[in-house]
Amino acid sequence: MAFTMRAVKVPPNSVSLEEARTRTFEFFKSACRSIPTVMEIYNLYDVVTPSQLRSNIAAQFRKNSHITNTKVIDMLLFKGMEELGDVVEHAKQRHHIIGQYVVGHHGLSQDSGTKDEGASDFLKNFYKTNYF
Amino acid sequence: MTLGQLASRALRTSRPSSLIRTIISTPDLNTSSAGAAAVSDAPPPPPPDRTPVGGARVHFTNPDDAIEVFVDGFPVKIPKGMTVLQACEVAGVDIPRFCYHSRLSIAGNCRMCLVEVEKSPKPVASCAMPALPGMKIKTDTPIAKKAREGVMEFLLMNHPLDCPICDQGGECDLQDQSMAFGSDRGRFTEMKRSVVDKNLGPLVKTVMTRCIQCTRCVRFATEVAGVQDLGMLGRGSGEEIGTYVEKLMTSELSGNVIDICPVGALTSKPFAFKARNWELKGTESIDVTDAVGSNIRIDSRGPEVMRIVPRLNEDINEEWISDKTRFCYDGLKRQRLNDPMIRGADGRFMTVSWRDALSVVAEAFHQVKPKEIVGVAGKLSDAESMIALKDLLNRMGSNNVWCEGNGLNVNADLRSGYLLNSGISGLENADVFLLVGTQPRVEAAIVNARIRKTVRATQAKVGYVGPAANLNYDHQHLGTGPEALTEIAEGRHPFSSLLKNAKNPAIIVGAGIFERKDKDAIFSVVEAIAKQGNVIRPDWNGLNILLLNAAQAAALDLGLVPESDNSLETAKFVYLMGADDVNLEKLSSDAFVVYQGHHGDRGVYRANVILPAAAFSEKEGIYVNTEGCVQQTLPAVPTVGDAREDWKIIRALSEVAGVRLPYDSVDAVRSRMSTVAPHLLNLDEREPTTFTAELKPECSEKMSKDPFANVVDNFYMTDAITRASKIMAQCSALLSKK
Repeated sequence: MAFTMRAVKVPPNSVSLEEARTRTFEFFKSACRSIPTVMEIYNLYDVVTPSQLRSNIAAQFRKNSHITNTKVIDMLLFKGMEELGDVVEHAKQRHHIIGQYVVGHHGLSQDSGTKDEGASDFLKNFYKTNYF
Repeated sequence: MTLGQLASRALRTSRPSSLIRTIISTPDLNTSSAGAAAVSDAPPPPPPDRTPVGGARVHFTNPDDAIEVFVDGFPVKIPKGMTVLQACEVAGVDIPRFCYHSRLSIAGNCRMCLVEVEKSPKPVASCAMPALPGMKIKTDTPIAKKAREGVMEFLLMNHPLDCPICDQGGECDLQDQSMAFGSDRGRFTEMKRSVVDKNLGPLVKTVMTRCIQCTRCVRFATEVAGVQDLGMLGRGSGEEIGTYVEKLMTSELSGNVIDICPVGALTSKPFAFKARNWELKGTESIDVTDAVGSNIRIDSRGPEVMRIVPRLNEDINEEWISDKTRFCYDGLKRQRLNDPMIRGADGRFMTVSWRDALSVVAEAFHQVKPKEIVGVAGKLSDAESMIALKDLLNRMGSNNVWCEGNGLNVNADLRSGYLLNSGISGLENADVFLLVGTQPRVEAAIVNARIRKTVRATQAKVGYVGPAANLNYDHQHLGTGPEALTEIAEGRHPFSSLLKNAKNPAIIVGAGIFERKDKDAIFSVVEAIAKQGNVIRPDWNGLNILLLNAAQAAALDLGLVPESDNSLETAKFVYLMGADDVNLEKLSSDAFVVYQGHHGDRGVYRANVILPAAAFSEKEGIYVNTEGCVQQTLPAVPTVGDAREDWKIIRALSEVAGVRLPYDSVDAVRSRMSTVAPHLLNLDEREPTTFTAELKPECSEKMSKDPFANVVDNFYMTDAITRASKIMAQCSALLSKK
């Protein structure tokens, strides 16, 4: 039913950064619009709220916010659209969605705790491994 | 346009098929070759320069005495006494050989080095033939090649087909030379002879069937190691190498016969069947089991050290390493500390994370007074960790840091007071030795080998003051205690006249003297002897100290000298950095002891917190050997478990304790080291000492009558790594010198 909804179109190469930006926002909107469908398909009602999913998606967008090369942005958009298509057409399974978009990365939350507030990079690396 | 070309053109157009080819000739092709040579007047390009084999440098003792020989048509200048083989080496031609070794005497029995010399009726053994001026040596003629093929055929006749099961496969001289110089097919149809294996001990595995009777091991044992254990028995094809009396090879240099043997007859027993040489990654490193700092190559496969092999260093260890160096690697796999641990209330250790361990140690740091903090660096500590430890303890307000083995009252003012001032290679120039309170055979086996080399070459005289020892060269036992020294100093002893008449006398004092209470008195007597015998001169400083541990010289260079003598008795916080031989009996029971090391040796029994560190094969550390040569180890394998490098632990601890040290990387630590001791950054270079003992003030202490004691009672087990090693345990059980 949703197979045709999101045909992965290879976007023509963005001319400028503004066009890439516009395309990014379009993609974000389409991702947010498909959140209710995703929750219905994978039965995530008791697991997560739509706003949490939105925040997660936004965080993943923000991770790449520093990129200025339009070709790279186009590539990332392509991959994102492919991923969104897979999720919406039920090509993934519940544990994928929970693991990738609900639980999040513990490493980041650990570092932002109060344990290592004043620690230097040396100490943070020291606690992790010997080779840095 | 010649007639021929016109004709070919015409023919081509008329006949499309090119069955007939026209021959086009030009005038200069028709002339004879003699004329052609006259035509070309440009000389042929000169042959490329020949460099000696292995990039060696040729030393001319007497430049006027150089002779010129021709090797394969190439003229080369060599010093006078060189053999034909050495002349070819200078010319860059590597002649195959089995029995010849540059550090052993010439045997000439393998005949593989045969080369053709003009005006000689038969090929000559180049290893034995001295090179005469104007000799024309040819190494690539059919005669030489046929000789090599023939010798190879003879050697392989009785050699068993053991390559798949032989440990030497892949690094075997016989394999390589038969591929390069042997014939491609064999014609042997008889039965091969076999020889019974000999038991030489737990270190050397013998498969005597593979022996090609080159006698390298025999010559090594008699000349370099000084033990005449091995010999050739029988004659002809029944020749066997063995000990005949079923003796084990107890020499401390016995492992070197493994390197010397060109075939797989003598191999390493602990390394038997473990790995092939092409799967091993070699890392150039330094040995830390004694103070010599022999250059080694650590062969590792993945995370495991498979074997240790010597590297060439003419100044320090030539090509030899002692058995302890060679076989201690399996101690790196046992009893390793891999997680930080804290001793709980019930006295048992619990594994904790680094965060918790460091915070506990930092808390304990702040609960004691600065005067009660003591730090002890271990025998195997590198310079980076020692400077970090000293910096940390200084920032906490304490200056009671020292290195094991240096004693508590050590004087680090003059470098000449704790180094081997003449250098290990400089000992070869000495002609009289006086060994005071040192048994070099167990303390530094390579230095002993060097002394033996000198004694053998120049008939140097050796006088020995100490307990009865079994040195493998002729020596006079002058006495057992300091009274003998006073006798020599006052000239009453016959040895003092020997010292006075010597050109380059060398006095070697053992570092065991550092632990004695009358150390200053003994040193003043030794300096008196030195002054009498003219031992210390601008061009030759023969007053040497032979250190025991790899960390002592660097510790004294960096200034790890404690402030007070009895700091251990009043200490409430002890930081042991790999220190296992410290006497902790006088320590009070409520003192907080931190042990930072890589083996669970004696130090952990009293520790409250264990911080796992890296061993010498896992870290990049700078070590200074007993002669002052600065070298570095390189990491060959990754650290075990959660262990970290020593200086990193101290830097992290300093940050958690609030006194952050200002360095974050190895380069920063090294630049800190260079502010204290700049020569520590000049790797592989020996910094000679400038000020000698004449600057020292007079000493007023009295000597005690205690005789000198044996400092090292078990050669095979001296530090944490060797005590954890199974091979060393076998050796000390079977091979210890009684």
